[in-house]
Amino acid sequence: MRPWQKVLIVAVNIYLLLFFGPVAGFDIFRIIPEIASKPSTLLQQLLIGIANGSIIAIIALGYTLVYGIIELVNFAHGDVYMLGAFMSLTIIGAFGVTAESTGAQKIVAILVAFLGAVAFTATANVTIERVAYRRLRNAPRLASLISAIGVSFILQNVGLFWGGLKAFFPIMGVNAAAPKAFPELIGRIDVFKDILGWNVPISFSTKDLLVITVASSLMIGLRLFVQYTRLGKAMRATAENRDAAKIMGIDVDRVIAFTFLLGGSLAGAAGLLVGLYNNTAVFTMGFTAGLRAFTSAVLGGIGNITGAMLGGFLIGILAAFSDQYFSSRWTNAWVFAVLVLVLVFRPTGLLGESIGQKA
Amino acid sequence: MQKLRTALIIGATSAAITFLFGGWSAVVVGVIAGAVIGMTYGQRSALRTPNGIGREAVVPGLVGGLVVVLGGVIHQFIVRPATGQSPFFTHTLRFFGSNAQIDSITVLIISSVVAILAAAAAAFLIGSAQGLPPDKRNRQIAFALGGFLLLFPFYEQITNLNWMGALITVQIYILLALGLNIVVGYAGLLDLGYAAFFAIGAYTTALLNSPRIEIQWNFWLVIWIAAAVAAIAGIVLGAPTLPLRGDYLAIVTLGFGEIVPVIFRNLIAVTIREPFTRFCFVGCDPAVEVRIACLYSCEGPLNLTGGEAGVNPIGRPVIPFTPDSLFGSSSYLPWYFLVLALIVFSIFLISRLRDSRIGRAWMAMREDELAASQMGIDPVKTKLLAFSMGATFSGFAGAFYGAYIAAIFPGVFDFSVSVIILCMVILGGLGNMIGVIIGGILIMGTDRLFLPQIATLLKKFMQVSVLPNVSNEALRDFLSTSVDPIQMRLALFGIVLVIMMLVRPEGLVPSAERRAELHAGEEPRGAPVTADEPTT
Repeated sequence: MRPWQKVLIVAVNIYLLLFFGPVAGFDIFRIIPEIASKPSTLLQQLLIGIANGSIIAIIALGYTLVYGIIELVNFAHGDVYMLGAFMSLTIIGAFGVTAESTGAQKIVAILVAFLGAVAFTATANVTIERVAYRRLRNAPRLASLISAIGVSFILQNVGLFWGGLKAFFPIMGVNAAAPKAFPELIGRIDVFKDILGWNVPISFSTKDLLVITVASSLMIGLRLFVQYTRLGKAMRATAENRDAAKIMGIDVDRVIAFTFLLGGSLAGAAGLLVGLYNNTAVFTMGFTAGLRAFTSAVLGGIGNITGAMLGGFLIGILAAFSDQYFSSRWTNAWVFAVLVLVLVFRPTGLLGESIGQKA
Repeated sequence: MQKLRTALIIGATSAAITFLFGGWSAVVVGVIAGAVIGMTYGQRSALRTPNGIGREAVVPGLVGGLVVVLGGVIHQFIVRPATGQSPFFTHTLRFFGSNAQIDSITVLIISSVVAILAAAAAAFLIGSAQGLPPDKRNRQIAFALGGFLLLFPFYEQITNLNWMGALITVQIYILLALGLNIVVGYAGLLDLGYAAFFAIGAYTTALLNSPRIEIQWNFWLVIWIAAAVAAIAGIVLGAPTLPLRGDYLAIVTLGFGEIVPVIFRNLIAVTIREPFTRFCFVGCDPAVEVRIACLYSCEGPLNLTGGEAGVNPIGRPVIPFTPDSLFGSSSYLPWYFLVLALIVFSIFLISRLRDSRIGRAWMAMREDELAASQMGIDPVKTKLLAFSMGATFSGFAGAFYGAYIAAIFPGVFDFSVSVIILCMVILGGLGNMIGVIIGGILIMGTDRLFLPQIATLLKKFMQVSVLPNVSNEALRDFLSTSVDPIQMRLALFGIVLVIMMLVRPEGLVPSAERRAELHAGEEPRGAPVTADEPTT
C-alpha cells in the first residue's frame, strides 16, 4: 500500500468517526469547549483513570502471565477476581467492622481479608487449572478457551449463590443478585487539601493513594520476582519453550500451577482493592472487569508484564475520559472497540514482541 | 437381561421427565424413548430384514415404555404427595373450545397403556427403518418424525400439558444453533458474539414493524429484510476478523457481541450531522449551531431503540384470508408451525450449502487454511460467506423472536446467549446438524422446561416436607432461598462446556471428520474416516 493511500484511509476513518462518533458520545464540538472551560476536570479524570487503571492492571497481569506461559485466554480470571471481592467482603462482614470502627480494628480486618482473599483465589485458580485446563494442554487451543468460558460461567454462578447466603453472611444483603455494599473502611480524606494543605481544584483521596500504592508495589514486586528469582526464571523459560524447559529439568506442571497461583493471588488482591475503592461488589463484575483487563493486556502486548501495567493505566484513563466526556453509557462500547482495533491492527500490542502465527 | 440393559438405561433417562411431569407426558416421552431404543437396537441388530429388526426392537421398546410409565406412577403417588398435592384430582381436557373433566387415575391408566404401546410401536417403526437402504430409511424416519412433530402440538393442546411456550423458545434457539453451526462447525471460526446477529435480526424487525417510529411493514417482508441485514452485518463484522485466527478471532467476535447490544441499548438520542458544517467560523454564535447538512433526525435527538425499555409492541404476522388474530398471544399453535417451517427450511438450505462448493470450501478451510488457499479457495470470500450465512439464520430467528414476543429488550442479547448457543452446538456435535438439534433440545429443554419444573417441585417439597422439620433459623433461611435450580442455570451451561471439552470434545453426535480430527493423537494417523454425516 502506498503512503498516500494509508493517509487517505486514516483521513476517511477520522471523518467517519467525526460523523458517527457523536451518536456514541464522541462529539468533539461539545467536548473541546467543555475541556477548555474547565481543564482541571481533565486532570481529575486522569487521576481517577490511573486509580481504576491500576486495579485493571493487576487483573491484566493474571491474563498476561497465563497467556505468556500456556497461550490460554484464561476467561475465568475475571470471575476469580470477583470471588476475591466476595471473599474479602465475607471476611470483613465476619469481623463486623464498619465505617465507625477504630483504626486498629479496620486494619486487622483489612489485613485478614487480604490474606484470606488472596489465599482463596490462589487456591481456586490452581484448582481450576488442575481440573479444567491441564488435560487440555495439548488439545486444540480452542478447546481450552471453551473450557475457560465454562469455568467462568460456573464461577459466576458460585458468586450468585454466595451472594444469596444471607443466612450465614448477613453482609450479603437480601437479594442474591443485587450489588453488595462494602463498608467504607478507608475513608475519603483528600490528600492534597486536607493533609498537604494545597489549594488545588482536583481531589486526590486516601483511597486513590492506597489503591495506586498497593497496585504499583504489587506490580513492581511481580516484575522483580519474574526477573530475578529462580522460579521466575523457570517461568520465563517455560513461556519461551515448554519442551526445552522440560529437558532442562524444569518441572513444567509445577511452574504452570505456580503461574496460576500468582495470577489468582493478584486477582484476589484486586478484588479486595476494588471493594475498598468502589464500596460495591456484584457477581457479574468479573465479566466486564475481565474484558477490560484482557483488553489492557492485549493493548500492552500480551505476555508482557510491563505492557499489562501500561495497558491497564491506558484503559483506566480511557474509561474515565469516556465516563466524563463521552457518556458513561457508551464506555463499554469504547473499551471493546479498543480491544477489537488492537487485536485487528496490532495484535502484538504496544510493547509486545512479534507473536506472528500464534495470534 | 443383558440385552435389555440399554433399553432400561434409555427408559430410565426418559423416566426422569415423567417423574417430573407425570400424567399425560408419559405418552410423548414414551414415543421418544421408543424411537431412541428402536434406533439403538436397530443399528446393533445382526438381522437384515426390516421386519425382523423391528420385531426384535419391540420388546426393548415395551420395557423402555414400562420404565417411562413407572416414572409417571412415581410422580403421581410419591412426588405429588411429597410436594403437598393430592394424587387424586380432576384433569381438564380441551377439545378446541369445549372442555371435559377426567379423573387423574383414569388419566394415569390411559396414558400408561398408550405410552407403553406407543413406545413399542415407535421402536418397531424406527427399528425396522434401520434395515432399509439409506434413502428409504431416511424417508421413513423423516415421515415418522414429521408425523410426531405435526401431531404433538394438538396432543399438547388437548391434554393441557403446557409445554408449548418452552418448546417454541427451544425451536428459536435450535434455529440459532443451526446458524452458528455454519460458522463454528463447518468453517471452524469460533464466534463468541453470535447473539449480536440475533439482536440485529430482532431489532430490524422491531424497527420496521412497530408503531415506535411509525414504520409498519408486513412481517413476511420484514423477515427477509432482517435476514439480509443480519447477513450484511455478518460481512461487516466478519471483515475485520479476517487476518485473525484461533482465540484472537474468538475474542474479537466477543467484542462485537458486546458492542452491538450496547449500541441498541443506547441509541436513544440520535442525530446525525455532517461534521465540518458544524465548525463555527468567525462571527457566528456557537449556541446557534449551523444546521445545514443535517442528515438524520434534525428536529431533535430521536429515541430510536427505546433504550432499556426496548421496542414494544412489535407487529405480528398476518396471513391473507385468515383472521388477523391467528398469530396472537392466545394460541401457540401457529407460532409453533411457523418456527418449525423456518427450521425445516433452514435445514434444507444448510444441507444444500454444506454439500455445495462453498460448504466443501468451508470444511477445507477449517482443516487447513494454508493448504486450502493453495488449492484455489479464496479465504476472504469463504470466511465472509460463512459469517454472513451463519448470520442469516439468526436473522430469521431474530425476526421470529421479535414478532413472537411482540417486544424486545437489549438485555436479552447478552454474552450468555452466545455461550448458550455455543453450548448447544458443542454438546450436540460440531458440524453435524442432527447433533446440533439434539444438543439444542437437551440444553434449552433443560433450561426452559425441566429446570422450572424441578424448581417448582423442589420449592413445594421444601415447604411441605422439609422446612417444618428444620428448627435452625439460618438453615431454614438457606433452604428456602438458596436452593433454587433456576439460579444455577449458568453453572449448568458452564459444567456442560467444561465436561464436554474434557471428556468428549467432538460432542454427543459428532460428524465423522470432527471425531477423527479431535482424536488425531489417540488413533493411528490416517484412521479411516468412514461415513459422511447423514443427509437430513
